[in-house]
Order: sequence, then structure tokens, then C-alpha cells
Amino acid sequence: MAGSEDPFDAIVMADDRFRGEGYQEGYEEGSSLGIIEGKRHGTLYGAKVGSEVGCYQGFALAWRCLLHSHAAVEKDSRKMRVLESLIGMIEKFPYHDPTYARLHEDLDRIRGKFKQLCSLLNVQPDFRVGAERPGLSF
Amino acid sequence: MSWVKAAPLVPGSGKEEEVFDEEADESLLVQREWQSHMRRRVKEGYRDGLEAGKAVTLQQGFNQGYKEGAEIIMNYGQLRGTLSALLSWCHLHDTSSALISKINNLLDAVDQCEEHVLKHLKSVTPQPDVVDLLDSIQDMDLCHVVPAEKKMDEAKDERLCENNAEFNKNGSKSLSWVDCSSSECCATWEHAHSENPSLTWILEQTDSLVKQLGVSVDILQYLKQL
Repeated sequence: MAGSEDPFDAIVMADDRFRGEGYQEGYEEGSSLGIIEGKRHGTLYGAKVGSEVGCYQGFALAWRCLLHSHAAVEKDSRKMRVLESLIGMIEKFPYHDPTYARLHEDLDRIRGKFKQLCSLLNVQPDFRVGAERPGLSF
Repeated sequence: MSWVKAAPLVPGSGKEEEVFDEEADESLLVQREWQSHMRRRVKEGYRDGLEAGKAVTLQQGFNQGYKEGAEIIMNYGQLRGTLSALLSWCHLHDTSSALISKINNLLDAVDQCEEHVLKHLKSVTPQPDVVDLLDSIQDMDLCHVVPAEKKMDEAKDERLCENNAEFNKNGSKSLSWVDCSSSECCATWEHAHSENPSLTWILEQTDSLVKQLGVSVDILQYLKQL
């Protein structure tokens, strides 16, 4: 506290000291606010990616099951190949890692493969995969 | 909060004399001027510190939230994908329109469920503006009253509870992110699980739908972890 040392020094240094104390406190508050704010944005973007990729995965896994259990449909092995390739791509995709450098690139490849699968399966994209969740913008 | 206590101490003039002493008026004025000057310094420092602290942790928070959001919402995406696959299967095989509309209803339910969970995820961390809080406390002129510090602490404590130990009081600058993330995760999972009644309902309906379609129940195997 002021007074215990040279009082003139204390007065001269007061500006810096008070500013520094404010800074210190602000920094601590800012640190936790940064986490909260960052988290809010992160959650949204993560949810977008998770929702989209999860949707492709659910779709692909369900179709694999459908094709397997109905031998008549399964004769076309090209469908199966594309399906397996899509499933493999999704399994390898680190959807929960925002620091993954090729996130957008891989996501676009997955989207492309998904479209290819849809046209092979001859299904209309009138279902909601990604319909309300257009491209990611970050 | 030592500056709150420090501010009135610095000029160090006794208040008892001010009624009789004509000079006291002036010293009171100087004292007030000094106080407001120092408060301004503290505020300035606080704002700069706030920005600096934020800049350091924003990305960290983003990554944390991203992971959480992706992992939780992934499950809902899978469910929607499965239902979409069944829907497209039904369209291909001219299944009765009753079943098709049932799938559409379930897809709507998944959307609602997902939206709800996302809302919860976002609201887990409400954000009272600390600058505003500080400013309003200063405007209330509570600063030179000792309980002011207590009040700030109480306000902090409330947030502490709401934010699931977002603050680590002991570890001055460095907050323990590992602790934070784990407790946050628990909280969000609790929220996610509180949605389970309707999610369970969707899963049950999907299950019966799959049986009605005569499709192997294996199709839902990986959804069981929901």
C-alpha cells in the first residue's frame, strides 16, 4: 500500500499501479470471457459440422444395411464401393477437431461422395440431409 | 479488488474536521478528483486487460466448444441420416404414404430435439458483461464502502456456479482448463440427457418403423449409444 514506502514515489507511481491492478483484473476476467465467447461460437460451428457429417454417416450406414439385407438390390457392386468409400472417409474424418488443417477440403470430398452415392442409389435429395444447413462459413 | 480499498486511503485526510475547517472543502475536492482520476486509470487498465485476456483465450474456447458441439450433435445427425435413408428407401419402394408421413414426422421431431439441445449448449454459459457490472457498481458509488468488495465477490460467486467453475480463484492468471472442460462436459451431457424422453420416443418410433418396413433391426445398431 502507499505510505509504507516513499510517499512521493507512491504518488508518482500511482497512475501505473492503479492501471496495472485494473489490467490484471481485466485480464483475468477477459480470459474467462474469451473462453465463454469462443465456446459459444465454437459450439455452433462444431454442431454444424457434427450434424452434417453425422447425417451422412447415418445415411450411409443405414443404406449399407438396407443393401445387405436385400440381395436383389445389392447386385450392383458399384453402389457398395461408393458406399464403403464414403463410410471410410467419414470414419477417418476428425470431425471434432477444429485444428485439423484439411477440414474444409475433406468435408467437400465427403459432400461430393455423398452426392455421388445419392445419384447411384437413384434417390432424390428431397430429404433433409444438409438442406437447412447450407455450407459452412468460417 | 485491493484498489477499491486503496483508492480512499491514498489521500489520507481525516473527515472529522471538514465541518469546521474551511480548507477541508478544498482537500475534499482534491481527494475526489484524485479518486476519480485513479478510478479512471483502473478502468482503463481493466479494459485493456480484458481485451488482452480475451484475445488469448478466444481460440481456446472456440476449440473447446467446437469439440463439444460436434460430438453431441453428431448423434442427432446420425439419427436424421438414418431416417433420411429410410425415407429414400420408402420412396424407391412405393411404401404406403402413412409410413412416409410418419418418417417425416420423426425427422421433424429430430430437428426440434437437436435445436433444443443446441440452445441448451449455447445457454450453458450466460454472459453477464463484466465491464457493465463494474461500471454500474462504480456508478452506484459503492467503491469506498468495504462491502462493495463483498458484493463483487457475490456476483462472481453466482457466475461461478452458473459457469461451472469457469473461474479458478486460486490459480491467479492461469485458469485450469482441464477442470473447466470436464465439468462443462458433464453439464452439457446432463442437458443432453434431459432431452432423452423425446429422443427415446423418437428411437422407439424409429424401431417400430423399421420393423414395419420389414428391414433388419441391425440398421439401428449404432444408434443405440444415443
